[in-house]
Amino acid sequence: MTASPAGSAPAQATRPRLSPLTWLAAAGSTAVITTAAASWPLSAAVVAACLGLSLAGGTARRVLPASAAVLVPLGLSLLVLHGLFFPEGRTVLAAWGPARITAEGLDFTGQRILLLAAVVMVLLLFSFTVSLPDLVAALSARGVQGRFAFVLASTLTLLPAIAERARRIREAQEARGLVVSRGLLSRAAAFRLQAVPLVLSLIEDAGTRAAALEARGLSSPGPRTSYREVPDSGVQRTARVVLVLAALAAVVLRLVQAGAGC
Amino acid sequence: MSSPSLTLPSQEQHPARRRLLEVLGALAIAATYIYLVLNQPADITGGPGSASALIALTGFLAGAVLLIVAVLPTLPASTLVLIPVALVLNIVLGQFVGSTLVPFYLDAIGTVLIAVLAGPAAGAATGALSSIVWSFFNPTVLPFAAGAALIGCLAGLAARYGLFRRFYLAPVAGFVTGIIAGVVSAPVAAFVFGGTSGVATGAIVSAFRAMGDTLLAAITKQALISDPMDKAIVFTIVAILVYALPRRSRQQFPFLRRHRVLAGNTADTEARSDAAAQAPAQDPAHDSSRKG
Repeated sequence: MTASPAGSAPAQATRPRLSPLTWLAAAGSTAVITTAAASWPLSAAVVAACLGLSLAGGTARRVLPASAAVLVPLGLSLLVLHGLFFPEGRTVLAAWGPARITAEGLDFTGQRILLLAAVVMVLLLFSFTVSLPDLVAALSARGVQGRFAFVLASTLTLLPAIAERARRIREAQEARGLVVSRGLLSRAAAFRLQAVPLVLSLIEDAGTRAAALEARGLSSPGPRTSYREVPDSGVQRTARVVLVLAALAAVVLRLVQAGAGC
Repeated sequence: MSSPSLTLPSQEQHPARRRLLEVLGALAIAATYIYLVLNQPADITGGPGSASALIALTGFLAGAVLLIVAVLPTLPASTLVLIPVALVLNIVLGQFVGSTLVPFYLDAIGTVLIAVLAGPAAGAATGALSSIVWSFFNPTVLPFAAGAALIGCLAGLAARYGLFRRFYLAPVAGFVTGIIAGVVSAPVAAFVFGGTSGVATGAIVSAFRAMGDTLLAAITKQALISDPMDKAIVFTIVAILVYALPRRSRQQFPFLRRHRVLAGNTADTEARSDAAAQAPAQDPAHDSSRKG
């Protein structure tokens, strides 16, 4: 996956009416409840709902590739791992030497992949739908330190810029005669030739930025005024409380069940 | 940059409360790990999404968030602006390596770099923040926040006690860090994902499963193969990067000077290019008085 989707995602807000905190509560509690319930119909329903919402919201072109980039290697790894080797399995469907395909193993893999797909897609849908400046403003208004908001916003905006700088450094080194061959030593040397200038320039930049931020009162205490109005309402506040309570209830219920089962 | 703000004196509002939060965060992570290891045999075949996954997620995440809340307000601006840079380095290099067929991750270079430049607390906060911010476009790294915080903290401690002064000690410190971090992260991989996220690491786990190991045992063994080598490589790369920094950049970080993290007066091969600039400043106290 490339850096560009993450960098361009926060620029657009497709749902301006909902507070980003409501989105966060909805995505987080859905992920928690799906994990706690661990039933494949619910996981499938969540996956389907995410697909529908991303298609309706116009974010499908970013959510789907990002989900695939995460889920395909994970799914393959789980399939090889549990599909072929599941010592706890009883119903053997096929066997080659130590590798045994068991019904229990395939069942376990399918459920786990579906569950992970649901959680990953819910969270990605949130991060590609929410407006990052709104989220930062909402978090700051709730007393979350400006420092966390700075780190979050700065990282997501720096990503494309740094990827671009890394590309320019590679081109400059290639212009000076850098040729990367297949050998490990050659690759290591090429990595060093590109990483050292990149990191040096980044640290140099960071020093300048620190002085500028310090001069603008980053470390000084006291209230801050935000010029950004974040939409919010009493209904949304109630909805958030209900969502968080539902997630907590699902976790407690699951733990009580597990305790009773032991 | 290391000088305090000119407008207002820097203030430590509640040092005792911050310390309490740090201790609580560390306790949450330790208690979660101990609970998972003691409770594991009955649970893993009981189906996905089990209670253990929830406990792993809640405990490790709560610990990581507590550490961030405790450490973040105490960091100086020169360290704070480096954290986003470190996160980007983690993400760019981690995404690149994770997609190749190598059983390594190399997703901690930025975290270890901050830890060496600014100390264990900054390293722990960077590791935890890295997982949380990265999860905005790869949610599967979120549960590893506690492991990443541990890596940052251990790297900072290694720097604090002079393991980066000798070039050959850095990979050794990385190896030990990898053992501890791998053992702590294995329950997350086992209970939350039921496996590993990479294809190459998955193949190693499969090999141990084929010999009849439980899932947690197989993943712990895989972590003990991959993580120490991975962290030894990461620590070596960071040592190369830190020694390549010009002296003016190093001056921004009081931690480097206070604990003499880097070799200033040895004929280290990696410090070769920097040797001329280092020569007049061998004494750290003298060094800091000359600043600016």
